[in-house]
Amino acid sequence: MTATSTLESQPVASTSSQQSLYEASTQYRHWRFSPKQLVDMRYALNSDAVSAIRNAFENDSPGSSASVAFLSAQEEYLLVKLYVGKVSQLCAHFRFPEEVEATAVTYLKRFYLKNTVMDWHPKNVMLTALFLATKTTNHPISLESYASHIPKTAPSDVLDLEFLVAQSLGFDFAVWHPHRSLWGIWLDIQTLPDVSLGDLQTAYEAATKHVRAARLTDAEFIYTPSQIALACFSLASPTLASAWARAKFPSLPHPPVADVLGSIEAMILREGSPPDVEAVREVDRRLRLCKNPEKIVGSNAYNKKLQEKEKKAEEKRIRKAEAARIAMEEGDPFGNELAKKAVEELDDDDDDD
Amino acid sequence: MAQRNSWLRGTTIRKSGPSTAASTRTGTPTQVQSTSTTIFGGGVKDPSGRTSEYFSMDDQCPVCKSDRYLNPKLRLLVSACYHKMCESCIDRLYTLGPAPCPICNKILRKLAFTPQTFEDLTVEKEVAVRRRIAKEFNKRMEDFPDLRAYNDYLEWVEEITFNLINDIDVAETEARIRQYRQENAALIELNIKREEEYQRYLQEQEEAERQERELRAQELRRLEEEEREEREKAKQGLIDKLEMSDKDAARLVAKSRAEAQKRASARAASSSSFSQSSARLLRSRAAQSTVIPDVPHVPLQDNYYAYDDLFTMRDTYYDPVSEAVRKDREGIMRAGGYMVEQAWQRALRCAVAGLEIAPLTGVPAPPQEAMAIDSESSADVVMANA
Repeated sequence: MTATSTLESQPVASTSSQQSLYEASTQYRHWRFSPKQLVDMRYALNSDAVSAIRNAFENDSPGSSASVAFLSAQEEYLLVKLYVGKVSQLCAHFRFPEEVEATAVTYLKRFYLKNTVMDWHPKNVMLTALFLATKTTNHPISLESYASHIPKTAPSDVLDLEFLVAQSLGFDFAVWHPHRSLWGIWLDIQTLPDVSLGDLQTAYEAATKHVRAARLTDAEFIYTPSQIALACFSLASPTLASAWARAKFPSLPHPPVADVLGSIEAMILREGSPPDVEAVREVDRRLRLCKNPEKIVGSNAYNKKLQEKEKKAEEKRIRKAEAARIAMEEGDPFGNELAKKAVEELDDDDDDD
Repeated sequence: MAQRNSWLRGTTIRKSGPSTAASTRTGTPTQVQSTSTTIFGGGVKDPSGRTSEYFSMDDQCPVCKSDRYLNPKLRLLVSACYHKMCESCIDRLYTLGPAPCPICNKILRKLAFTPQTFEDLTVEKEVAVRRRIAKEFNKRMEDFPDLRAYNDYLEWVEEITFNLINDIDVAETEARIRQYRQENAALIELNIKREEEYQRYLQEQEEAERQERELRAQELRRLEEEEREEREKAKQGLIDKLEMSDKDAARLVAKSRAEAQKRASARAASSSSFSQSSARLLRSRAAQSTVIPDVPHVPLQDNYYAYDDLFTMRDTYYDPVSEAVRKDREGIMRAGGYMVEQAWQRALRCAVAGLEIAPLTGVPAPPQEAMAIDSESSADVVMANA
C-alpha cells in the first residue's frame, strides 16, 4: 500500500521541483507580497507589539501605560527607512561593494517585517545585518576591525543579535538584487542594433542612482529584481528601455513588463528619498519612552522576565528528572512506552541550557 | 539487528584441510609470510570475507622472546586462550599433539591457533565470542509476544556474552547456552534458514540489476553502431549521387542533410522511450526503498536553463566594470576558475529572470510555507528574550 502511494507522489514532486531559478528562490517563495499584504502585515505586527508592550508596562507598574504614546506602523517604517540610508553611509565608509550594501538593506527590511522597532532598535540591528551581509556575500571582515570602526560599539553588540536576525530572516540569505539585473540589461542592450555607447553609459549611470533609490522603497517585496532594474533604466532612458523590452518579447505586440513599469517608477519617485530627519528624530525621541521594558537590560521588567524564564527552566528540569526517576523505578530505562504522554510533556528543550 | 550483526555470524573457518585453507591464505597480506608448514586459517574477517592480520615492528614472541629484529619473518598467532605465540614455538610445542599453553597451562591444539586481527587481544576475544553467540542466539523480534519480552531476551543474551568475554562463571554460562540450544533448536534452525534466504534474495536482486545494466549498455552500443553505419552509407550515397547526376549540387546536399535530420530525430524518439523505461525502473526501485515522501527542495534540480531563450551571449561586451579583471593577465584579481563570461551570463540571467511575473494583488491565501515562517517568528519572540 505504502509503496504505491510513494510511487504516485514521485512524479508530482519531480514536476514541482523543475522551477526556473528565480521562482525556486526563497526570495520568490517567502518574501514576495502584495502591497495590501505588506500594509496588513505591518499593521498587525504593530498592534500585536503595542498590546504586548502595554501588558509589560502594566505588569511593571499598573496604570503606567496610559501616558505612553506608542509608535504607529507608519512611524516604525520611517525609522527603518532612515537606518536603511545609514547602511549606505556605513558601506561607503568601509568601501564595501554594492552587493554587500544591497544585501544588508534587504536583511534590515526583512527583519522589520517580522519584528518591531519597539523591541529591537534599528541602530543595533543595522550593524548586525551589515556584518551578516559581509559574510553571506563573501566579503568577510574581522569582527574586531568592524566594531572598532564604529563608535560606541563592542563586538558583542554585533554578535548578540546575529542569531536573532538570521532566524527572523528564516535563514534565507541569498538575495536577488536589481543592480545585477541592471548590469545584465546594460550588457544585453548592446546587442540591439544602433545603440550609441555614449547614451547607454549616461543612462546606465542614471539608472544606477535610481536602483539605489529603489532600495529605500518596498519595491523588492512586490516586484521582481529584473522589473525594478528595467523601471530604473526606463526612468533614465525611456526609449532604450522600451526598445529592449520589445526585443525581449518579440512575439507580443505589447511587452507584459510595460504594465508594471509605471507603478514601480512612481514608487521610486515617491518614496525613493531618505525621510525627513526632523520627523524621524521626533519618532526616535518617542521610541525611547515606549521601548519594550522587558528588552531594556537592568530594568525591573527585564529582571522579572529573566526570573520567570529561570523558574520555567527549573520546573522543566524537575519534571524531566521526575519522569526519568519514574521510568527507572518501573525497571525500564527507556520508559514505559515511547509514545506516551509523559514524553509529550517534555518538549525538546535543547534551547534552555 | 539481524542485518546489523550479520557479519558477526559469518562462519569462522578453522583450518580443516589444506584445500580450504589455501583459499583463505590468499587473503592474508603479503607482508606476513608464514614460515610454518601448517597453514593457519580463521581470524576475524571483514564484511568482504578477508582476514587482515595485525602486524607491528615491536612484535615479540612471549614464549621464546625472539622479535622482529632477530627474525624478520616473525608471525604471531593467537591461541584459544588468547595468548600470542610465534609460529616456530607452535610448531615446536604442538606438532606432537595437544599440549599445555606455556603461559596458562590450558591444553591447546595446533589447529586452534588463528591469525591476529586486532592489536588488542580482548577485542579479538570479544569479536570471537560475539560471533559465536550471534550464531545461536538469533531470535528475531517477531518471535516474541511484545517488545518487552524481546528487550528482556536481548538483555539476557548480553549478560551471557559479557560473562563469556570477562570469564565470569564460565561453566554456568556454558550450561545456560547448552540449555538454550536444546530448547530452541528448531527455532535456531529456522532463523538460520531465514537469514540465508534473505541473503540469497539480496544476491538475486543484485544479479538482476547487473544484467539489466549490461543489457542497456549493449543496446546503447548497438544503437551507436547503427548510427555510424547509417551515416557512412548516407555519405557514400551522396558522393555517388554527386558523381552520377547532373542536378544542382547544393540542392542534393541540402536534401541529404534533411534526411539525416529526420533519421536522427526518429532515433532520438526511440531512445527516449528506452530511457523512459529505465526511468520507470529507477522509480520502482525508489518506491521499494522506503523514501520519505516529503521531498525537500533541492536547488540543484531547478531549471537552470529556463531563461536561456531570452538572451544570447555575445563574445565580448563593452563593460568598464569588469575591464580591470579582464585585462589582468596574471590572474591576480581572479580566483581560480573565474571567468568573466560566467559573471556576464549570471547578470544577463538576472536581467530577464521573472520579467513577466505579475505582482501579487489583494490578499492571496498564504501558502503553507509562509504560514510556517509566521509560526517561527512567534517563536522568535520567545527566543528574543535571551
